[in-house]
Amino acid sequence: MSAIEQSTRRHEPGRPTGVAARRSARVRIAALWMLLVLLATAAAYIFWGRDRLPVDEVLQVLGGASVPGTSFILMEDRLPRLVVGALAGAGLGISGALFQRWLGNPLASPDVIGVGFGASAAAIAAMIVFGVNDWKLSAFALAGGLAVAAVIYWLSASGQRTGSRLILAGLAIGAMLQALIQFLLTQTEVNTASDAMRWLTGSLSASTWERAAVLGIGLGAAGIFLLPVVLRQLKLLELGEDAAAALGLHVGRARVLLVFTAVALGAIPIAVTGPLAFVAFLAGPITAALSRSAIHVPLAGLTGATLVVVANFFAANLFAQINLPVGVITGAFGAPFLIWVLVRANSTGNGG
Amino acid sequence: MATLQASGLTLAYDKVTIVDELSLDIPAGQVSIVVGANGCGKSTLLRALSRLLKPAGGQVLLDGADIHSKPAKEVAKTLGLLPQSPTAPDGITSRELISRGRYPHQGLFKRFSAEDEAAVNRAMELTGTAGLADRPVDELSGGQRQRVWIAMALAQETDLLLLDEPTTFLDVAHQLEVLDVVSELNRTRGITVVIVLHDLNLAARYADYLVALKDGKIYAAGHPTEVVTEKTVKAVFGMPSRVIPDPVAGTPLVLPIGRQRVLRTESVLAANGIFRGDAPVNEPRALAEGLEQDSAVIEEEAQAATRAVAEADPNLARPAREHLQTLAFQTTVLRSQQLSPSFRRLTVGGADLEDFGTNSHPLDMRIKLLLPPEAGFGPNSEIASLRPDALTSPAEQLGWYQRWLAIDPAQRGYMRTYTVRAFREAGHRDNLGTTPELDIDFVLHGKVVDGRLQGGPATEFGDRAQPGDPLLLLGPNKALTDDSYGGIEFRPGAASRIVLAGDETAAPAICAILESLPANVTGHALIEVPETTDILGTTTRSGISVQWLTRGTAEHGSLLRDAVRGAVAIPGAGVVQTTADPEDINVDEDILWETGQAQSAPFYAWIAGEAGTVKELRRYLVRDAGIDRKQVAFMGYWRRGKQEN
Repeated sequence: MSAIEQSTRRHEPGRPTGVAARRSARVRIAALWMLLVLLATAAAYIFWGRDRLPVDEVLQVLGGASVPGTSFILMEDRLPRLVVGALAGAGLGISGALFQRWLGNPLASPDVIGVGFGASAAAIAAMIVFGVNDWKLSAFALAGGLAVAAVIYWLSASGQRTGSRLILAGLAIGAMLQALIQFLLTQTEVNTASDAMRWLTGSLSASTWERAAVLGIGLGAAGIFLLPVVLRQLKLLELGEDAAAALGLHVGRARVLLVFTAVALGAIPIAVTGPLAFVAFLAGPITAALSRSAIHVPLAGLTGATLVVVANFFAANLFAQINLPVGVITGAFGAPFLIWVLVRANSTGNGG
Repeated sequence: MATLQASGLTLAYDKVTIVDELSLDIPAGQVSIVVGANGCGKSTLLRALSRLLKPAGGQVLLDGADIHSKPAKEVAKTLGLLPQSPTAPDGITSRELISRGRYPHQGLFKRFSAEDEAAVNRAMELTGTAGLADRPVDELSGGQRQRVWIAMALAQETDLLLLDEPTTFLDVAHQLEVLDVVSELNRTRGITVVIVLHDLNLAARYADYLVALKDGKIYAAGHPTEVVTEKTVKAVFGMPSRVIPDPVAGTPLVLPIGRQRVLRTESVLAANGIFRGDAPVNEPRALAEGLEQDSAVIEEEAQAATRAVAEADPNLARPAREHLQTLAFQTTVLRSQQLSPSFRRLTVGGADLEDFGTNSHPLDMRIKLLLPPEAGFGPNSEIASLRPDALTSPAEQLGWYQRWLAIDPAQRGYMRTYTVRAFREAGHRDNLGTTPELDIDFVLHGKVVDGRLQGGPATEFGDRAQPGDPLLLLGPNKALTDDSYGGIEFRPGAASRIVLAGDETAAPAICAILESLPANVTGHALIEVPETTDILGTTTRSGISVQWLTRGTAEHGSLLRDAVRGAVAIPGAGVVQTTADPEDINVDEDILWETGQAQSAPFYAWIAGEAGTVKELRRYLVRDAGIDRKQVAFMGYWRRGKQEN
């Protein structure tokens, strides 16, 4: 299509054309596939996994009937796991994508820059020191994540605030927090420490409907009330702070809101499942690769959910006798991807 | 139409004051451009004007109200800003980016409306980016990308548009592309534009209102023709320059002046067969000069005219050209050309000049101009008898100068000494006339009273002479003189290193000398002139490095003194006897005029100009630097503060 044709053709309001249209088409197709994979894996996990359940019984249970044994496995274990996993994955994916897009760097995800460690350390401290084990854990994790985000932000604020400064500050804080977590674990009675360790690797084994509800309410509130505003403001923030301010955005407020939302969406799942390694880090870049464009935040949520559900399936079925924590699987898949991002970042010059 | 003002604005980063109590009214509907050196606070000022920076003191008033008292979104509907280096998100298309400019017009939940769509289309139309709508911004050229950003700011639909260095990192064609778009917007839509720019020439071309910032204060503001002066450029950028009319736009054009040590390349060019000295026909080649000199020297030289050929019968009347070394030539002004505020060149010609010359390069040859008195010449047989064809005897001519002096000046006029800038025989490549012609450059110094320059008779003559005016002059008789003619003082002998130094009165002679020097000579030519505009081109095939010193407000001669000291160093102890103090000459009563004899020394200096300065330089060269006086010509052409008559 020639430039003249493009410029003379009537443009329908709100309908992107050309490159933009192809991109949104790609996003839609990617979302569709992602959803299919999510549902297929969920179904496989329910019907086809280890300790296979009879299909008719499962259907009966899903239909509302009570079948001894199957009902319990399904309603008290597998379904809560799926729901908690999907919700946690969605929260982590969106959280990572927000950070990555705001700072324009794939390394800037909360699990790399230490915000995840902040939430973990706060949750561990709450578990070990105060014996907290319910929804209040989310509040602790959120507070820890926000505190770390604030410290990192303050550290990187001297001079020009750049993505790489923030990432470096985050790495340093993350290392310190890991040491703190280790210290807390050594100070603890063995049984508690073992639970805490299991939690730290990221596990869905403790999933209950109650926890799913906590997650759903927390993430739902952030996702419905804050996320739309944050996404709108992100479109301006990523033009540079001066350009955003010139368009009438309160840059300071927008930044605080963005960090709060991203940390909340990341810390609330961590409080429930523990830090699921690399989910926040992976989801965004996967959407960028699928849409061959910038990171797509809502798609990153779906991607995160799919990642966790798939990882959960493998964790449950990879080995006959061992039920792996799901974090082990996400970690095993995520690490090579981190290496790939680093290599690619070096060659394109946008590395940390 | 929105108005934007700064009132007593003080801007600071961490207590370091960048802009200090600055007040500025941005003219509505015009293009204002802010220029200044790096770090002068121009970008900071723009940030404050666009509400990005909160002032430490004072206010920015948008439509008369403090800009910080208004909500950011309201401001963004009136005032658009393109920051210095905005970042385009990965893969975003032009249309998407431009659409983001609609943010201030959208509510929290309002969708992109048809009105928004129309604004985006208009912005693309105006910036010529409609064809780029679908292209990813990161694939565009620098100029296209900048136009897309401007379109984004335009989609904001504001009355005011502020741009911070929109041409940075663009090549010159793209710089013009961007500025053309912006000025077009101003002209067609009446948008008030404020641009921070570092290219002074582009600023002068595109600005209606130019603001020159220096150290956070406004140094000058107004129309570019008022603001862009050599003084402003010097003060704001700390750089000497010449300002000429831009031949393309008519706006001021700044030509920076480095140290002008460029002429050595002439020899390199010559080696490649290129001679810049071969100027096109009738183009001004360089400057010449004028000097007005004390009558005592004139008298001494006038005697030369009466040095008749020895063997001839002193009483036999013969044509003057056969026995007088100096003749009077009747000429007519052919052309008059203002070379600079201080220099005016008269080209004179006439049949009499067939007898003019020394059969050699004129170098610093002196001639006498007979300047008419107010009422015009009365009968003057003394001068008439010196014309080449006049029948006269050597005896008759004895004492002609005393007889001439005795005539009432109101009748005889005045005699002034000048050096010849250039002499072209008939048939010379650059001489279109049928008779020989002379270039004489007048230094115009005096005061302008009622639109007329008031000065000495020579200054006034030089200023007012028109083509067709007659001019009588005394000069060498071609038939009887050669390069040993007494009116030529530049006698470097075999010297291979030469220093030429002088003020504006010596500039024409120095330029003429430079044009004659061969390629194997090196050294320095130091010429002090009043202003940068008085720097005139010259060419030389020699290795002399030419340095024009622009005096500005410095004391007359001070720059020249320093430059000569730099060019001729005091030798190490014991090398020469450096204490021989030359005998004192009272330059207010006597003429300082010492010319060395031709010799074989490798160094030669030629110093001319204001007598006091020449005397100081003589003292330095002879006493401190220990240079043999025979190697130096010192000529006090004039004395400051002394009346010409």
